[in-house]
Amino acid sequence: MLIAHSGHWAVTVSYLAPVAGFFIWLGFVTVRQRRQDRAREQGPDS
Amino acid sequence: MVLLAHAGDLAGGRSDLPIPEQLFGVAAAVVLIVSFIGLAVLWPTPRLEQGGFRAFPRAVSRVLLSRPVAVVCGAAGVFLLGLVVWSGLTGVQVASANFAPTFVYVVFWLGLVPVSLILGDVFRALNPWRAIGRAVAGVASFAARGPLPAPLSYPERAGHWPAVAGIVAFALLELVASNGTEPETVAIAALVYSAATFVAMALYGVEAWCDRGEAFGVYFNLFSRISPLARRGEEIGLRRPLSGLSGLRTGPGTVPLLAVMIGSVTFDGASEAPLWTGIVPDVNDFMASLGLSPEQALEATFLVGLIGAIVLVYGFYRLGIAGARSVGGSLSGERLAKLFAAALVPIALAYVAAHYMTYLVFQGQAMSFLASNPLGRDGVDIFGTAGNAIDYSVLGATAVWYWQVAFVVVGHVAALTLAHDKALVIYDDPTLAVRSQYWMLTVMVGFTCLALLLLSQSNV
Repeated sequence: MLIAHSGHWAVTVSYLAPVAGFFIWLGFVTVRQRRQDRAREQGPDS
Repeated sequence: MVLLAHAGDLAGGRSDLPIPEQLFGVAAAVVLIVSFIGLAVLWPTPRLEQGGFRAFPRAVSRVLLSRPVAVVCGAAGVFLLGLVVWSGLTGVQVASANFAPTFVYVVFWLGLVPVSLILGDVFRALNPWRAIGRAVAGVASFAARGPLPAPLSYPERAGHWPAVAGIVAFALLELVASNGTEPETVAIAALVYSAATFVAMALYGVEAWCDRGEAFGVYFNLFSRISPLARRGEEIGLRRPLSGLSGLRTGPGTVPLLAVMIGSVTFDGASEAPLWTGIVPDVNDFMASLGLSPEQALEATFLVGLIGAIVLVYGFYRLGIAGARSVGGSLSGERLAKLFAAALVPIALAYVAAHYMTYLVFQGQAMSFLASNPLGRDGVDIFGTAGNAIDYSVLGATAVWYWQVAFVVVGHVAALTLAHDKALVIYDDPTLAVRSQYWMLTVMVGFTCLALLLLSQSNV
């Protein structure tokens, strides 16, 4: 059933692709910023 | 209603688009990213908080705010409310031939949105319940030969919750109830709402209730805050567009109200999409298995869909707020949700404009013959226009699509601008302000893509 209607799902997924891309980007940015914050906090001692 | 909301299809398919429809979502996301960068670079300080109000010449304000104008506008509102009730109760019980359904669902509910956007809060002047409440209070005060006892103070914790209840009730009537478009149902709903409103006005005062609790007053006021036209005290003038939303008094129920506004349109759009129509039979069968009649089962199915859409919108916004909260700062998630709530208003506007544009343009034309024959009786032709018909050729399907995309993109850029301006106010650290806006940008892209998906799916 899922495969039979893959055309519909593919169109839906293609519309939501920018949102998925943004969440991936946000995850990347968040991890990078946390690393930077941690490095800044630890910086003077190390 | 759903059928007519997409009457643009009747004018032909959108086969002449230069790129696949899906790419419009990507293009819209790019526009938002460029806007985000532009705001970060070119908008370093808050600009919408002050508003830059410039009053019109005093004579203009004096005329527009005069008692005769208020009386005429209020009387017009009361007349139209009366006409809805009268035609709904005594006219033919055919939705397309009776004045009441088309007036309530098209002229009032949809037509007042662009009017509010352009002219400001005109519904406040036209509000029939406010007009009747003020008139009754004036007569009662005259009869009592003195001021009336002060009403109860409006409970702060109620916030916008009464408006939420009113808009949900309207959405249930419009999108869930199987008899929601029957003229008699519309008339009875108007009477029930009027009675509830008069009781609330008697308890909390006419102005307090219209400002916070009266659902339609609150609804149109939110859109009017985008308008460059505004009233300040006894003056009418121009302000920066969107600046009215900076001063929005958010409180309990404000975010849920906006979630209902966006979610109900989302559901109306999704109700035609394969995503929803594919699961309706299964949900319907489940409801029927609970012992509901076929009609009740379908209503319950649509109720589930409506609630699901509202929860989805609310949840997505709160996800963005949780992300903004995670970047730091001392504000709680609840506080941030209220502070950024105004950014949802242009999104709600974009959803309404994009989804219902064709409905308003096509079905709005029906008023020319319904006004001439409000009861739908044979042989009645008051203005000589009863024989008019709807011209579906005024808008082509491709033009509709471009307008819809434009509404969606402009609405979300406006939302991004509001959120950016607010972030500059509430964060001391500019870095935190920018980081918080990464999340709001994601929320905007999400709502943009959802809107375009629904618009495209409704035409499948």
